[in-house]
Amino acid sequence: MERVKVAAVQAAPVLADRDATIGKVIALAETAAAEGARLVAFPEAFVPGYPDWVWRTRPWDATASTLYARLLDQAVVVGSPATDRLSDAARRLGIWLCAGADERDENGSTLYNTLLCFAPDGTLAARHRKLMPTGAERLVWGTGDGSTLTVTETGFGRLGGLICWENYMPLARAALYARGIDVYLAPTWDNSDVWVPTLRHIAKEGRCYVIGVTACIRATDLPDDLPGRAGLYGGPQDWLSRGNSTIVGPDGEILAGPLTGEDGIVYAEIDVSAARTARQQFDAAGHYSRSDILRLTVDTTPHAAVAFRGVDTGEPAPGPAEAR
Amino acid sequence: MSVLRVAAVQAGYVLMDRDATIDRVAELTAAAARDGAELVVFPEVYVPGTPIWMDTRPIWDGDEEWFALLADNALVIPSPASDRLAAIAAEHQVWLVVGAQEREPHGSTIYNTVLYFSPGGELAGRHRKLVPTGSERTVWGMGDGSTLPVIDTGLARIGGLTCWENYMPLARFYLYTRGIDVWLAPTLAAGDGWIATMRHLARENRMYVIGINPVLHAGQIPALFPGRDRLLPAAYLEANGPWLEEGNTVIVGPDGTVLAGPVRQREETLIADLDLRQVASGRRHLDPAGHYNRPDIFRLHVDTSPRPAVTETAIAGTDDQRA
Repeated sequence: MERVKVAAVQAAPVLADRDATIGKVIALAETAAAEGARLVAFPEAFVPGYPDWVWRTRPWDATASTLYARLLDQAVVVGSPATDRLSDAARRLGIWLCAGADERDENGSTLYNTLLCFAPDGTLAARHRKLMPTGAERLVWGTGDGSTLTVTETGFGRLGGLICWENYMPLARAALYARGIDVYLAPTWDNSDVWVPTLRHIAKEGRCYVIGVTACIRATDLPDDLPGRAGLYGGPQDWLSRGNSTIVGPDGEILAGPLTGEDGIVYAEIDVSAARTARQQFDAAGHYSRSDILRLTVDTTPHAAVAFRGVDTGEPAPGPAEAR
Repeated sequence: MSVLRVAAVQAGYVLMDRDATIDRVAELTAAAARDGAELVVFPEVYVPGTPIWMDTRPIWDGDEEWFALLADNALVIPSPASDRLAAIAAEHQVWLVVGAQEREPHGSTIYNTVLYFSPGGELAGRHRKLVPTGSERTVWGMGDGSTLPVIDTGLARIGGLTCWENYMPLARFYLYTRGIDVWLAPTLAAGDGWIATMRHLARENRMYVIGINPVLHAGQIPALFPGRDRLLPAAYLEANGPWLEEGNTVIVGPDGTVLAGPVRQREETLIADLDLRQVASGRRHLDPAGHYNRPDIFRLHVDTSPRPAVTETAIAGTDDQRA
């Protein structure tokens, strides 16, 4: 396989400002592309930022509700001018552009924590909605279904990933291993010192490259007009996230990072044939599985809350028997 | 009190000498019990030690004598040797967990097995490794789904997987669903990557994790060991150093913090007090088999039935009918 350079961008979003944050994504992607990166990854919910206030506010109080309204307004809708800008940047730069987003359906009021991957031809090649938010995150994000557990062929390896503590879901990981994932994205907000061991474990379990990418943001990075800013946030020592971006090779060895306490772009050269060779030793979905004993089934059906039969789909209206 | 004192014994075995190695189990368990341990854990295939020829030479390259020695020194259940291990547990009133190379009474296939003896001197559980790794596949058979125990000691639910089985996400998940509190990972895996895995597992299921390795220096293998020169080729020792087993024993808390170890290149018994309340409270953050699972999307099917090679059926009266 082709040896390529990949980049993990550790930066601060312009929190709750979608268009300004997309401007930052494009500028940083340009920098990484100029360094030769063919894949550029941004952190969890980077556009327009991780709703850190869920950990600082009381559920349902006025500030939390105001902030939710702001996030809903600034969320990313797929197929909107916001995703068009990201798509155009991927095409213009000829890169895989992968970014976390607070995303919603066009007519929806529920936010999802989504990982978007744009291909170098500008198509939205993958959209993964986090299956299970963590703790206070459950107050702002809904849950994705099994239809977005996909792995995409890039030409230099099969690309996919899970978001933050989804990476502690053994069955979700097993599904991606079975799809042959080679390049595993792990955008996160997790700042703990156990996170890097987790990235190393996943690399070794999946014998894949793992790109961990984390935001780096402190209170002084927050826009002045963020609702509740003065009451919730302090000065330069008030870190929302110090960052933890790390790239790990298929034997669990750290190739770059962890980068902590500063903005930056972490680069590594990857060669997916090394990952596939490493699976001679261990292949969780192949010779090191026991499909006679342990069999996983995954429901990949998209689950919409309402299906409009005979209205939007053009299918015939139900006959008399069905109507009864 | 919800505190369990555990001892993770990193020690050398007496290579391919079952009874002398069980002597070491007796001595080291007695010492751990004196320190107040209620659960004492020994490494992977500690009895009678790792079949190290599988990595020091090409496969089937003059190993017949060693395999015969292994078959002769493998543990059979029940036998005087397994009775002795049970008696050691009873004498010291501990849960005794020991890795052993095990075989059926009339069998010639060796299994990589972990045995759980209760303080009452009963064999409370046994786990045969499901998949051996690489060269191990030329020495060990594979266990079936009937030996994936999680044992309630009254204070904690204990169990675990052996060495690289710990990289099997589905096997781990199955044990998570059964409420395991203390995860035992007997292993031969050296190095920091393994410690990362131990920390990951602890955090993934918010449980205590104990990784237990043997430690063995080439100098500990007796000069009279059969074929010793062929067993330890100079080129192998030059490339890999004199530590055949470097050790890596570690105890990790439910948030992924290392509580003791890793200890390397020496014998040592790590002792730690495990507060089981931390498991329960940790799972409010993350419970992979509960609120952090998606059973609407993922369904794991586990076949736990024993799979003997033969099921014999005698039909009464067959001969009469034929006559």
